[in-house]
Amino acid sequence: MTKTSIKLENVDLHFPKQRNALVMFYDWFRKRSRRFTALSEINLEIYQGEIVGIIGRNGSGKSTLLRVIAGIYPPDNGTAKAAGEISLLAGLGTGFSQHQTGRENAILYGSILGHDEKVMNSKLEEIIDFSELGHFIDEPLRTYSAGMKARLGLAVASAIKPEILLIDEVLSVGDVKFKEKSKKKILGMVENAGTVVIVSHSFGLLTDICDRVILVDRGRIELIDEPQQAIKRYYELEG
Amino acid sequence: MPLLTGKYRLEAILRRSNDKGTMRPANMTELEHSEPPLQDVAKRASSLFAPFWMFKEVFNHRFLVRNLIRRDVRGRYRNAMLGYAWALIEPALFALVYWFLFIMLSGNPDEMYAVWVLIGVVVWGCFGKSLSATTNSLVGNARTMHLVYFPRVIFPITAVGANFVVTLMSSLVIIPILMVYDLPITMHLFWVPVGIFLAGIMALGFGMMVAPLNCVQRDVGHFMRFVVRAGFFVSPVMWTAEMAAQRGAWGEAALYNPVVLPITMVRHALEGKSVDLPPEVILSSLIITCVLLVTGAMVFARLERGAVKYL
Repeated sequence: MTKTSIKLENVDLHFPKQRNALVMFYDWFRKRSRRFTALSEINLEIYQGEIVGIIGRNGSGKSTLLRVIAGIYPPDNGTAKAAGEISLLAGLGTGFSQHQTGRENAILYGSILGHDEKVMNSKLEEIIDFSELGHFIDEPLRTYSAGMKARLGLAVASAIKPEILLIDEVLSVGDVKFKEKSKKKILGMVENAGTVVIVSHSFGLLTDICDRVILVDRGRIELIDEPQQAIKRYYELEG
Repeated sequence: MPLLTGKYRLEAILRRSNDKGTMRPANMTELEHSEPPLQDVAKRASSLFAPFWMFKEVFNHRFLVRNLIRRDVRGRYRNAMLGYAWALIEPALFALVYWFLFIMLSGNPDEMYAVWVLIGVVVWGCFGKSLSATTNSLVGNARTMHLVYFPRVIFPITAVGANFVVTLMSSLVIIPILMVYDLPITMHLFWVPVGIFLAGIMALGFGMMVAPLNCVQRDVGHFMRFVVRAGFFVSPVMWTAEMAAQRGAWGEAALYNPVVLPITMVRHALEGKSVDLPPEVILSSLIITCVLLVTGAMVFARLERGAVKYL
């Protein structure tokens, strides 16, 4: 039987264009609003076990949609519901502290991502191994290169098996060798997660792994279909 | 990437053919009832229960709170030769300047005055720094707010928590004072952390009201800087509750500033007594603190939803 894992109903999301309090008050008084509509009338049901891709042009609302599912942007209208723990893979290393060591940052970032203490303690060695940082793990993070930070971020982020996994464009980080490894790791995560929603521009990958692909255009869902169909429609829209 | 295709593909195809081809079986509805319920993706408190919800969330996320506080405290004393010692040195230097200023302005203070100023600087520091930190807690974490979800109330809580920890370190300055001035070591010293905690709670309540507003209009942050600076003078940092009580009606009115209670509490703890203020002053201060905390939590719960969109 198919269980619903993620369900968005009539979701609208607006961003304020105007932040001047006086103008906002005037607008409120005139019952007018200046806002930018990021998503409108999003209806979406994703079932447990599905791998769903999201494609669309830059600024079409892919990432925003993913963030609504993750609970970051509360919808202005409609509801966003999900069954189970959600983990969003985006912006690896958010909240890293330059002045703490790699090891401390691994724990910090893990807690920011919502891993609990027991999980972090038991997975810490595994995370450090995977990041391939060697003795750098006990050096302050300011001595790290961008790639090293990304590797540490990925190692932490990929240490858990969430019920719902959301991936925003992070598929591989680091140098050529680590890229392969990280890609493999993320695909391993995808395989183990209950439900996966993935935003990506690599259509080849989406065609390979996705059950369905959502095409987003100007804040609306244009189409939800088989990967090939959605990609075909994407190129038609592109013109 | 053929490793993933098979399993999921098959399931999806089966499901799709099911959906299209056959009617929904009658017992489908029964099965759906046994499913784990769909929940809102971000649990947010109704304003009414916000204060309780806040404590619950902090408890649930205590690992995160602890790590964020550690990040804050570590970051503050980075690359400093004297490191954490600055938590002691900074208030001591300030106290020295205020003491000097006081002697210039009004001559001979009593011999304990320098100590009272130092205590004032430390406890006020907890309030003032916590208030500025909470006000900027959402704006300063804009990037995190856009990329990760956890209850937003964690941000002001950790801002205050970090300052509470730093102030506790500063309050170690009490130990040499006790020795130099030969003050009694009593059970009343227990009031020292209580006073500091109280100051932090006041700042938290106040700060939670303004933090989301600061996201919309940074004017709020500028104004709060003024509030902290001005609050310094109307709070008993350079003066004490005893001095104020001798200054007639205005002085007595000044005692109703809620910050009088924590600062005086710590000072009296050093003297070896529990806080010795008129009961109506203590009561009003405690009531103001509770009201600040409850309304702060409620206002925050109401406003934080929209705040992220302005960042």
